[in-house]
Amino acid sequence: MTNSFNPKLLETLRKLRGSNNEGTLALVLLALVATISIVNPVFFSLTTMFSIMRGSLVPLIFALGVLIVIISGGIDVSFAAIAIFSAYTTVKIAQDGNFDPGLIGITIIAAFFGAMLGFLNGAAIAWFRLPTLIVTLGTQTLFRGILLAYVGSKYIANPPISLDEVAKTNIVSIVNEQERGAFLHVLVVPVAILAILVAWLLKKTMFGIAIYAIGGDSESARRVGFPVIRVQVLVYMLVGVLAAIAGVFHVTLGRNANPQDLVGNELDVIAAVVLGGASVFGGRGSVLGTVLGVLLIQVINNSLILAGVPTAWQRAAVGVLLIVGVGIQALSEKKKSKRSSVAASLGE
Amino acid sequence: MTKKYKKTEFLVNANDRVDNAVRELIGRARSNRGTSRMILILLVAFVFFTLLKPAIFLSPLNIENIMVASPEIGIIALAMMLAMLTGGIDLSIVAIANLSAITITTLYSSLMVSNPDRAVQMMPFIVLLGLVVGIIGGLFNGFLISYVGITPILATLGSMQIFNGLAIVWTGGKTLYGAPEDLTKLGKADLLGMPTLFIALIVISGLVALFLNKTSLGRKTQLLGVNPVAARYSGISSRQVLISTYLLTGLLGGFAGILFLARNPTSSADYGSSYVLLVIVIAVLGGTNPNGGFATVSGVILSTLTLQVVSSGFTAIRLSAYEYAIAQGAILIIVMILDQPRAKKFNLAFLKFGWPKEKVKNSL
Repeated sequence: MTNSFNPKLLETLRKLRGSNNEGTLALVLLALVATISIVNPVFFSLTTMFSIMRGSLVPLIFALGVLIVIISGGIDVSFAAIAIFSAYTTVKIAQDGNFDPGLIGITIIAAFFGAMLGFLNGAAIAWFRLPTLIVTLGTQTLFRGILLAYVGSKYIANPPISLDEVAKTNIVSIVNEQERGAFLHVLVVPVAILAILVAWLLKKTMFGIAIYAIGGDSESARRVGFPVIRVQVLVYMLVGVLAAIAGVFHVTLGRNANPQDLVGNELDVIAAVVLGGASVFGGRGSVLGTVLGVLLIQVINNSLILAGVPTAWQRAAVGVLLIVGVGIQALSEKKKSKRSSVAASLGE
Repeated sequence: MTKKYKKTEFLVNANDRVDNAVRELIGRARSNRGTSRMILILLVAFVFFTLLKPAIFLSPLNIENIMVASPEIGIIALAMMLAMLTGGIDLSIVAIANLSAITITTLYSSLMVSNPDRAVQMMPFIVLLGLVVGIIGGLFNGFLISYVGITPILATLGSMQIFNGLAIVWTGGKTLYGAPEDLTKLGKADLLGMPTLFIALIVISGLVALFLNKTSLGRKTQLLGVNPVAARYSGISSRQVLISTYLLTGLLGGFAGILFLARNPTSSADYGSSYVLLVIVIAVLGGTNPNGGFATVSGVILSTLTLQVVSSGFTAIRLSAYEYAIAQGAILIIVMILDQPRAKKFNLAFLKFGWPKEKVKNSL
């Protein structure tokens, strides 16, 4: 059927589609936005766009971490526990010690905790070669249990003032008389920088190439000479650091530190990354796809209600989306392997 | 020429692998390390808490509590074990169980409003519908995993989200009251001096053990887990085995939903959300290899009881639920690390993963 198309057109189409189906995803996102806007014109505004961007900040940092793990062939469900552990502990230290190191200082201390907890994950996974899902399920409970039992289980309503200052800062504020006003939060900047950094790390550095290689086939990667264990440990530490940053941003945006927060919403992040074209078998995935995936999930979670879909359907909708996205991936993979085996037998 | 030679060599290898796998299974059944280890751990845990707080821990009420609380967890753990046996995992079992409990409650209470006599009469059929819900959920998982080819983790992660989402839509996020009274009565009753719930657990685990060891499908399930390549070369249809495995985990999930109601006459979308991790801990502690191939029913049941003993022991010595959670996470990781050298020694179960391939090649 496809033969009847102009080959040049096909080539451009393929380029637009992207190596991980980013183009398709962008189309789905556009179609969804268009549908909601037609059903409810209120949706189509700068206010909505900025608020979706604000809502995407924390999930996007999580998603960048999960993307790295998934590319390396693993999965991590402990990132939310690491995030709240690091952020809450840091805020509590600052509060008990009565000092205020500012957003950057707090982020650095939290990142240190995140790296330590990530190191535990990485050590268990890389040194003992344990299944990643089960290890991180275990550490998720472990970290959260330690946080709630020994660090604190009380809600902190007044985090350091420097965080509060940041929470109130917007880089773009448009205040209209009739409308609600549109505010673009300042934390968009560091998150964008993080996304670019992760993209650079994955595509341009030896470390990134090693992550893709290990995810593709860890045994081959080892034989080629990549230090598999070291890279794996570093991957989980990096996820810990990213999670800790996300935790601090979450506390900043919410202007309170609640140790019960974040854990339980891991699936939305994993769904976003997988929808963004990352293969759970490892070796494939891109930052662009992940950003689109996060935006898609955010639109569904925050704006489906504007299209007349009750909020109760959110969870089921994300589940369906995940299954459809992964199902298409699996089916096309199957077709490809069938085709390649036919081609191989013809070639011989 | 070379191609043909390669092919036969591969078949011979596959044959050897099947042979080894069978020997492995027989050896496993004979020594049954999982079971003896679990008996030891259970005894140690029991004696430990008895010595610490004899008055509270040995009270009939506490023992009764352990026996009443374990069945629902034990059945979900058995389902998890079956999924792990094939090298997969099923994260949706608890969601299926809740959906089954919610189905029973809504049908029964709506029939109760219009026609109470008929509701009591129809009760057994309504309860059976809970099992049907489980079967449908399980078939959905099995379809996604074997026909569409989605990895079990993602398929069941997604389906968990869907089942849970449907439960939220259905209940509006509220807790439902009005479970069948006869069912609740049955749950509170004793039979032969034991709670009926506990007897249900014994019967179900007996049936699962029978399925695994005496039926050809059960045998195939074990072989598929040990070595999927060898299983395919010995003519086992992995598709059929996987579908029936996930159907069975769904069915057990549906049954767990009935037990939820028998123990506690309410149902909600988020009941037992901590069970997902707990049953993975139980399955792994009970000697189940998360990469597939090895598992024993007795190991899983004994480890369910152990975790329940630890849980009530923690309560007896006044440790919080958070500390119990820490213990769960720590036990899971420590047990997996301790099991590691053993798994390396019998490295057959790992054949499908990259790592030990090198070892096999070296030994050839």
